[in-house]
Amino acid sequence: MNTIKQLSIFLENRLGTLQKVLEALQQQNIEIQAVSVADTSDYGILRLITSDQFKAEQLLKHNGILANINEVFAIKIDSNTGAFSKAVNCLTEKGIEIKYLYTFSLQNKLVLIVRVDKLEAAEAVLTASGLELVKGWE
Amino acid sequence: MNSQFWDPEIETMPGKQLEKLQVERLKKTIELAMNSSFYAPKFKELGITPDCIKTVDDIHRLPFTTKQDLRDNYPFGLASVPLEKVVRVHSSSGTTGKPTVILHSQKDIDQWADTMARSMYCIGLRNTDVIQNTSGYGMFTGGLGIQYAAERLGAMSIPAGAGNSLRHLKFIEDFGTTALHCIPSYATRLAAVMKENGVDPRDTKIHTLIIGAEPHSEAQRKRIEELWGAKAYNNFGMSEMCGPGVAIECQEQNGMHIWEDNYIVEILNPDTLENVPDGELGELVLTTLNREAMPLFRYRTHDLTRFLPSDCPCGRTHKRLDRFQGRSDDMMIVKGVNIYPIQIEKVLMQYPELASDYLITLETIEDNDEMLIEVELANATDDFAALQNLSKSISRRLKDEILLTPNVKLVGKGVIPQSDGKAVRVKDLRHNH
Repeated sequence: MNTIKQLSIFLENRLGTLQKVLEALQQQNIEIQAVSVADTSDYGILRLITSDQFKAEQLLKHNGILANINEVFAIKIDSNTGAFSKAVNCLTEKGIEIKYLYTFSLQNKLVLIVRVDKLEAAEAVLTASGLELVKGWE
Repeated sequence: MNSQFWDPEIETMPGKQLEKLQVERLKKTIELAMNSSFYAPKFKELGITPDCIKTVDDIHRLPFTTKQDLRDNYPFGLASVPLEKVVRVHSSSGTTGKPTVILHSQKDIDQWADTMARSMYCIGLRNTDVIQNTSGYGMFTGGLGIQYAAERLGAMSIPAGAGNSLRHLKFIEDFGTTALHCIPSYATRLAAVMKENGVDPRDTKIHTLIIGAEPHSEAQRKRIEELWGAKAYNNFGMSEMCGPGVAIECQEQNGMHIWEDNYIVEILNPDTLENVPDGELGELVLTTLNREAMPLFRYRTHDLTRFLPSDCPCGRTHKRLDRFQGRSDDMMIVKGVNIYPIQIEKVLMQYPELASDYLITLETIEDNDEMLIEVELANATDDFAALQNLSKSISRRLKDEILLTPNVKLVGKGVIPQSDGKAVRVKDLRHNH
């Protein structure tokens, strides 16, 4: 599978809940590479890409924090205007819906983290498109 | 003043005579219940016949009846008459668990209407009054119970039903409503809506409010009276006994007279089930004396109250009950609806997305009872919409079960407080509790 692991963490909107997550990761020298948050007035979902997702998941669960892992695509594109559009378009023209996406920059390039509704269909489309899929880094 | 009675003979009957009447009616009720497939074997086993009853104290020989008995014998297992004599069924809320069902014969309906009419008369209502009912009509007894009583009294009745405050306001103004039946929290809520719409409740013709079905304090009554410029009387009823009309305050506003021609009233220690000393707090236990379709013996209400000492200046001889001081079980009364935590738990347990801990918090927000349910998620997810749909779905299913819509909040691990390792299920922060 040409996907990467994403860690999703359930956080209540209370003072200190985010700090608890960050401290736990820091103590085990787990690096955070990308972050996105979806939030309501009651809670948020913190989505992380870290240097060791499985270790991070175990660590957080051990600390009484709800966390789980799921598959997302990481698409590396040039930071020009057309590339972003091309990446999104190759999915949507095949009827694949994007549930959410976020980005981070890596070595002067842009990485799109994309969660889709049809994982296997998306994999075929993306592989055929010639877009660069990141399967892990370092 | 208080010199008028709906039924002077019964209402002012001297104690000894009232007891004699109770003994007579208890014997008759036992005879009836020997036709019930629930009571007949119990009576047989305990050797109980009408002849066993010589004095009211002999009530102690009879078995208790619980809400669970009603559920276990759902729907018609406690009938004491052939079902063709039953003319109406009332029922408690609840869709997942078995509801409790109460059967009424024509005689029961007549008796009930007459007793609630007596209660209305007792607080000064007459056939010249216009009585508007804000209770829901349907399986809940607060609708039809008040309706039939208002008609029996000969008043003009306005069966407006639950909800829609603007419509209530319109009727109050257009029909010249003089008396309102409502739960106490709705009395304050409706007053607020009226004020928002430029009507001071004090300027209406309403002079009396019948409030009940929800525990409230003396301070809350005073506040309601102040808001409405009217008298508010505490009214007690429960569907198992008939509905509204079991006990009511007289114009002295000092305790509710419980109609002893219709009920034998015991106040017992909920643990030992023995009588508490007169005037001490205990659980109210009631035996019906004037119902035929489904008489109940020593029914455990789980309401905690006490007898008020000495005679009432109004001249009524029927004993007075103090304001209810809570429950001997975990039942909550929210917006006039009786709710047990187990009903909520049953709904929550249907969701594999949830862990087992939950906390119900009751609060007063803008004079309204509000219920917040915090539930622990079992797993995290990256799917935001799924979480939002989950709280909505829980809220909807709970509405079907408990008839009101709680706010549902998803929480993570360790948020729900634990005491002695046992989860605290209910936190009641309402002003009147």
